[in-house]
Amino acid sequence: MLFRLEKDRYALPLSAIREVIVAPDTWTRVPRAPRAVRGVINLRGRVVPVVDLRELLDVPGAPTSTPGRVVLLDRGRRELGLLISDVDGIESIEKVGPPAPKASLAVKGLARLGALPVTVLDPDALDATVARAFTTK
Amino acid sequence: MAGASWDTSRYLSLFAGEASEHLEALGKDVVRLEQGATVALVDSMFRHAHSVKGMASSMAFEATAKLAHRLEDLLDTLRADVAKVNQAVADVILQTVDALSAHVKAATQSQPLPDSTALVVRLSELNAGLKGVPPPPVSAPPPPPVPEAAAPPAASPSGVVAVDAAAPPRFALKLKINPASNQPGVRGFLAYKRLTTLGNVFELKPPLDDIKAGRVPQGAVTLELETDQSEESITRTMRTVADVELESIGLVQRAPPPPPPGAEADRVVGQEPARTIRVRTELMDQFLDHAGELLLATARVRQIARGMPEALRPPLDESVDRLHLLVKGLHDKVMQARMTPLALITDRLPRAARDIARRRSRDVELVITGEDIELDRAIVDELADPVLHLLRNAIDHGVEPAEVRKAAGKPPKGKVALSVTRQRDRVVLELSDDGRGIDVERLKVLVVERGLMTPEQVRGLSERETLMLVCLPGLSTATDVTDISGRGVGMDAVKRVVEAVGGSLEIETRAGRGTTFRLAVPLTVAMVNLLLVGVGDEVYGLPIGKVSGVVETARGRLALSQSAPVLQWGQSVLPVHELSSLLEVPAGPASAVASPFVVVDSDEGRVALAVDRLLGQEEVVLKALARPLDLVPGLAGVTILGNGRPVFILDVARLVTA
Amino acid sequence: MAKKVLVVDDSVFMRDIIKDIFAAGGFTVIGEAGNGVEAVEKFKELKPDLVTMDLVMPYRNGIDATREILRTDNKALVVMCSALGQETMVMEAIEAGAVDFIVKPPRAEDVLAVVKKVLGEA
Repeated sequence: MLFRLEKDRYALPLSAIREVIVAPDTWTRVPRAPRAVRGVINLRGRVVPVVDLRELLDVPGAPTSTPGRVVLLDRGRRELGLLISDVDGIESIEKVGPPAPKASLAVKGLARLGALPVTVLDPDALDATVARAFTTK
Repeated sequence: MAGASWDTSRYLSLFAGEASEHLEALGKDVVRLEQGATVALVDSMFRHAHSVKGMASSMAFEATAKLAHRLEDLLDTLRADVAKVNQAVADVILQTVDALSAHVKAATQSQPLPDSTALVVRLSELNAGLKGVPPPPVSAPPPPPVPEAAAPPAASPSGVVAVDAAAPPRFALKLKINPASNQPGVRGFLAYKRLTTLGNVFELKPPLDDIKAGRVPQGAVTLELETDQSEESITRTMRTVADVELESIGLVQRAPPPPPPGAEADRVVGQEPARTIRVRTELMDQFLDHAGELLLATARVRQIARGMPEALRPPLDESVDRLHLLVKGLHDKVMQARMTPLALITDRLPRAARDIARRRSRDVELVITGEDIELDRAIVDELADPVLHLLRNAIDHGVEPAEVRKAAGKPPKGKVALSVTRQRDRVVLELSDDGRGIDVERLKVLVVERGLMTPEQVRGLSERETLMLVCLPGLSTATDVTDISGRGVGMDAVKRVVEAVGGSLEIETRAGRGTTFRLAVPLTVAMVNLLLVGVGDEVYGLPIGKVSGVVETARGRLALSQSAPVLQWGQSVLPVHELSSLLEVPAGPASAVASPFVVVDSDEGRVALAVDRLLGQEEVVLKALARPLDLVPGLAGVTILGNGRPVFILDVARLVTA
Repeated sequence: MAKKVLVVDDSVFMRDIIKDIFAAGGFTVIGEAGNGVEAVEKFKELKPDLVTMDLVMPYRNGIDATREILRTDNKALVVMCSALGQETMVMEAIEAGAVDFIVKPPRAEDVLAVVKKVLGEA
């Protein structure tokens, strides 16, 4: 699945995604949380934490403006929400090259779709990055 | 008396002599093996190994006994199929015989026993290979598997129940097998056999196969005995069975006239007190999750209904009320189904106490009361380790050796009591010993020596707070403290577990008289009563159990102590913490007139939390925090309010320290 | 009058331990046997009030010996001595007519408690 953070293009494997929802207007803040954590939402009775992907990946620029979208990653018995700007569509990516030298650990590599560069993310590594942000805060 | 009941040194030379004889004979047998293995030969070897095991274990030479035991197991396998004996097997046996001889020699000279772990493993592997099964763990063998499905009701011996007017009277018996007894399964079987000499046994619960396998929850056995013997004679017979107590006996009311054939099932149902099925705990957790979410969803519907036009309200409200009642009923039933007696964990304590006491050469009596009180299964599971831990501490470090006790004018046998009582919505477990007590002064010194607190801080502590110092992580992991203060290892873990299930820990001690640990835990995990408070735009829940009171006063009128604000609370002065800064969230505009302060009990003692608003009290369904939210210090859980808003529940105990 | 006990075990060492326990508990050990065959002979000869019987012995094991003793006297009181892990054999012995069992290594208070119960003294 392809999506955007402002103008940059990213991709996540479709199998890792449970659903995409419109970001809510209000958030319940998570106390003592790292900066990237936007808050928690009530998803049909479940409490799901949402992180701003831009902040998590240390992409320079203003925090992702809402209303955006929240990508819900399937993490077995729980979910992790990623705040993004918008979804572009679904494409298959054949070849993933090495990531940029200073990229976050959550980046699996770079791919090309036509003329456009796409950063491919690793869902497991994203999850681990969030947990690390909590413990090293 | 714990430990060997006789002076083992008296038997040492006898042991050495006889064990050597057995080992010598065993060695000769191994040589004869090479001329051909016969059942008689392997049988003879088995007996030698068995004898050595028994003797070694009587002398408390555990390593020797274990090695001999593995050899015995191997020979038992070979006995069943002597064709499996080959040169390699013979070599390992000979090697083991040599090792055992070395053990006996070392024992005779009071030297430490050689390490034979590798050989023990080798024997297990070899035996498993010969049997064609994976090797068992070198430690304790796994318990027998518990059947997934419900055990069928006990079949009567003949399979046919002839109920006629001439039938002899039937008695209902309730037996209790002492859980500390050796081989409780065999004890139960013995009691059963003894009763069958008097008449016919019916309605045996648990079924005989379960009894034989030792699966007797709480040691309780019920049955009906049809016999011509008098009640007195049954009682007398049961008195001849050690470690099995006849708890009650009574005549069974004669069943109504026998039903026509084919209606047997109905009759059985009528006689059964209750039928049970086994359910995986995981499934029970899901039931609870869903029932909880139904409650939340119902609250949400009620909230929406409030915004409906007045004309629609009455039928809608009525439906929501009805829905709420049904869902609440379902939730209660699910909670009820999760209730498990504490006996699940206390049943193994007598045995553990005996083992610990024996290892430490202490003479200790353990008395358990109230173990049939029920708690949510999740809490019972959590309490298993803390309770065992407290028991170990009580025997290891609380109860003194017999000589010391005698010198102090106490009975030589120490007493450890675990009493379980129900106090409103809490269950209180008290583990007390009559040992030496905790040396409070020494404890204070140690805390300062270790740099965990300043002398001033220690001086300011109440007695209760001082005792809680044994739960300081930096202190309780230091082994040298254990013996000095009479307490220690892992108390921080005990406290953490108890508080994680919403409970509390209290300690009382009297020098030279003993110590009591009091664990108060909720009956159930899922519902929690909250005081909701507002901070800026956020709402947080404080568990009511931790709230001592609320004061409203203007922030500007707070007294200052060392330039930090403090709150006057009765006779004492409490430190004030801004909840917004503790939680790192923006605060709302401070009111010039009056702000609420919530007084809570934290790990640091009593503190006042400054909040912006009080929003009232609510009973909510507590949800556990999933990764990564569980990494946030100071949060106990989360819930969803009727308006759909997620609200975090604060871990008041750790809020200030974390 | 002190009750008379016959102690059967192939280990002299084990017999000594059990004998000492009985002596301290006020019983008279009137004889001992080192195997199942000897046990049956001694039982007929000495008519003890109680027999403690090892399970695993040469020539004739404890279960067979117990069966034989009960054939001689169906009121005989035989208490098995077993090790942990021999539960099945103990139950077989109980089927054969043994009245109770003690677990090795024997502890004085366990042995005396069981024996007194069996003799109806407790």
